[in-house]
Amino acid sequence: MFTRYAKPAFAVLCAAALALPAVAHADATKNLQVAGRALTFLEGGPTGTTRMGVVFDPSKPASVAEKNEVMAAIGAGYDAGAVKLVGTAVEAGAVAGSNAQVLFVTKGVNYAAVGAAAKGKKIITISSDAACANSGACVMAVATEPKVEIIVNRATASAVGAAFKAAFRMMIKEV
Amino acid sequence: MSKSFLFAGAAAGLALAAALPASAQSIDYGSLEELFNEPVTTSATGSPQRASQAPVDMDIISADEIRRSGATDLPTILSRVAGVDIQAWSAGHADVGVRGYNQARSARLLVLVNGRQAYLDHYGYTAWSTLPVRLEEIRQIEVVKGPNSALFGFNAVAGVVNIITYNPKFDDEGFATARAGNGGYGELALGHTVKLGDRVSARLTAGGSQQDEWDNNTGSADRLFRDAERVTANIDAIAQLADTVELRVEGGYANTQQTDIISTYAYVPAKYLAHSVKGTLAWDSKFGLIQASAYQNDLTVKTEIAAVPTLYENTIRVFSLQNLFKVGAKHTFRVGVEQRNNEMPTAPVRGATISYDVASVSGMWNWQVNDALALTAAARYDSLELKREGVFPAGLPPLGNSLWDRSLEETTYNLGAVWSATPADTFRATYARGVQLPTLVDLGGLQLVAVTPTFRGAFGGNPTLEPTVVTNVGLAYDRDMPQFGGKVGVRLFAQKSEDLKGQPNGAQADLPATPVSLPVYTFVNIGESELKGVELTAEGRYADGFHWSANYVFTDVEESIDAGYNAATRYAAFAATTPEHRANLNIGWSNDQWSVDTFTRYEGDKALYYNAALQPVDGHMTFAGRVARELPYGMTLALSGQNLLDDAQRQTSGLAAERRVFMTLSKDW
Repeated sequence: MFTRYAKPAFAVLCAAALALPAVAHADATKNLQVAGRALTFLEGGPTGTTRMGVVFDPSKPASVAEKNEVMAAIGAGYDAGAVKLVGTAVEAGAVAGSNAQVLFVTKGVNYAAVGAAAKGKKIITISSDAACANSGACVMAVATEPKVEIIVNRATASAVGAAFKAAFRMMIKEV
Repeated sequence: MSKSFLFAGAAAGLALAAALPASAQSIDYGSLEELFNEPVTTSATGSPQRASQAPVDMDIISADEIRRSGATDLPTILSRVAGVDIQAWSAGHADVGVRGYNQARSARLLVLVNGRQAYLDHYGYTAWSTLPVRLEEIRQIEVVKGPNSALFGFNAVAGVVNIITYNPKFDDEGFATARAGNGGYGELALGHTVKLGDRVSARLTAGGSQQDEWDNNTGSADRLFRDAERVTANIDAIAQLADTVELRVEGGYANTQQTDIISTYAYVPAKYLAHSVKGTLAWDSKFGLIQASAYQNDLTVKTEIAAVPTLYENTIRVFSLQNLFKVGAKHTFRVGVEQRNNEMPTAPVRGATISYDVASVSGMWNWQVNDALALTAAARYDSLELKREGVFPAGLPPLGNSLWDRSLEETTYNLGAVWSATPADTFRATYARGVQLPTLVDLGGLQLVAVTPTFRGAFGGNPTLEPTVVTNVGLAYDRDMPQFGGKVGVRLFAQKSEDLKGQPNGAQADLPATPVSLPVYTFVNIGESELKGVELTAEGRYADGFHWSANYVFTDVEESIDAGYNAATRYAAFAATTPEHRANLNIGWSNDQWSVDTFTRYEGDKALYYNAALQPVDGHMTFAGRVARELPYGMTLALSGQNLLDDAQRQTSGLAAERRVFMTLSKDW
């Protein structure tokens, strides 16, 4: 009996193991898609090729993992609505020297420090962690599971000169 | 406000646009739907909302569902929505209701195209063939169930059907369709979107169709029945006047012929000529989304009443101004004003004009209390001034035009609470008051003097007729079911209709004969009615291409009729004419090349009028389907059919609905 079921069981385990990173990658892709599309609802926002810096903390495995997933999702360029995102990995301490138009802040970095640097350079910051927007460090937070949720911090958006279109504002959560 | 004025304004706007940079203000349904992964609507509150967060009972039919429906008309598509009732009277005409009270000349359902009224005010119904849009240019159909008068005004009492077409600024849609079928069916339709620089976009569509009328098995004279013919044209143009200012101009034309059934359940031949023009100026300002719109609908109907040739002419002019804005992080407001003028010459006996002006003010407040709870309150105040000008024909009592100098003031409201208890569970509570206005025909547009060897009387309108007030309370629960990629829902509702309208009947005179006039038969308020019901819905979608949806709706109608009246005599026996049960089961599958869809509908027993008496109509099941194959170059070949279970099936008290099978070749670009 054991032998009879061993191969299928092993196959299922292998499939599950393979599926895990695929699922995570899928989430990063969805987040990226929502983030890119949301940018198109900025007044005077970016169109066409848009430089996205993916901010990570090399000392935080979760941050590095998310950075890798987002960079993999961007690949040579990711089309999201009217923008084409091209990515560059940016260490958290190097935000001030980045030439990115948009920063994707991975989970686990020091949000406050990154947010302060981004505000200084008037760069829009997006995270998959609601805490980043709720704390005022990020302009926007996006989530796609189980439903698409977008949070915009009005004060932070104002600080970097970002104004979203009225219709978009009526459909998201603002803090 | 004349149409030439509207056209001149539109032309000036389009010319101005050529010299200015482009941006976006109007609602980009497609981008928002892609962003939020669900349909977006403005038909609940006037504010853009995700469908799952709208504070009304609503279903949205997508363009893909329309395409895969295999249907050739809107009523058939709508009949598959939970709670929608259909009475298909002829090959070219059906009456559609929501949650009961459907009748010949269904007056309780307001139908709009991009917010422009398509419902015909003169007699209070929708002749679906006169809508100038082709099915291929519809982005989505928003079906609101229950009163929504606080946003849309009079007659949005059973619900609202708002047809949203593709926006030529955002949607580069083009199509060509050729369809043929049995019963002499033939159809051609063409649509194309053009871009004139970065600032002007337009979509033009046109089409025509024809089919034989169903066989006359009613015993009524053959001359009453007309083959269905329909020609339409539509233009939708948008010009970017400035970074934040946009002008949208829509013009529609329909020339149709069909067999109609009037509110006393008698078949009549009808030819319609309908055209409309609408201009909308939208400004995404720092004060909010400000929108001014003006439109005019012109309608001519050549028909007959009691074998008397009848010409209806109706002109509607509407101007509205609204601002939609957000205050702080949690409060969205809409404030608006509207002015409406509506007039028709009396018919079939001419000599006078019935008209009214309506001034309205409305507002809406949406409060996102916290992450889980949102409250919405909307209210509208309408002030109507009725007027009659002209003479009184011999036979009708010379009551004097001053009897029509009447003011009518009504307040309507919608209250809603949406509680997202968990990301998957949503509860909704609603309370609404809507008003069904007497039609122009009801108020005096009808003037018919009938003198025959067996009958002497006059049929006329009643300027003192009260509107029907509908209050509705609803509770709903929806749960997402990721296990099968769908959701389930249950909706409870209770409704009260006060001052029900009864139709004239030659069996009961409302004004006695005088030395100078015949006995008069007219429209009267006869009492009230209550309805209770429950709606169950479920749907699922699987990765292998299968999808299904099912719904069931139960309604129970009770009437309380005033002394001296009989609901059956007044063609208002809604407890009998409303089926208690209706259900739909839709199952489909698709891959890259093939798609297969089936639609099964059941409607329970009811009784409908014919020859001035209620006739039993047995419960029946209908089956429809479509099989399609994608071909190279964006072409699709589809075989579809309606009423497939029988050669001819008795679905109403009138003509039996015939099986129709279609072959369609279409191309999209």
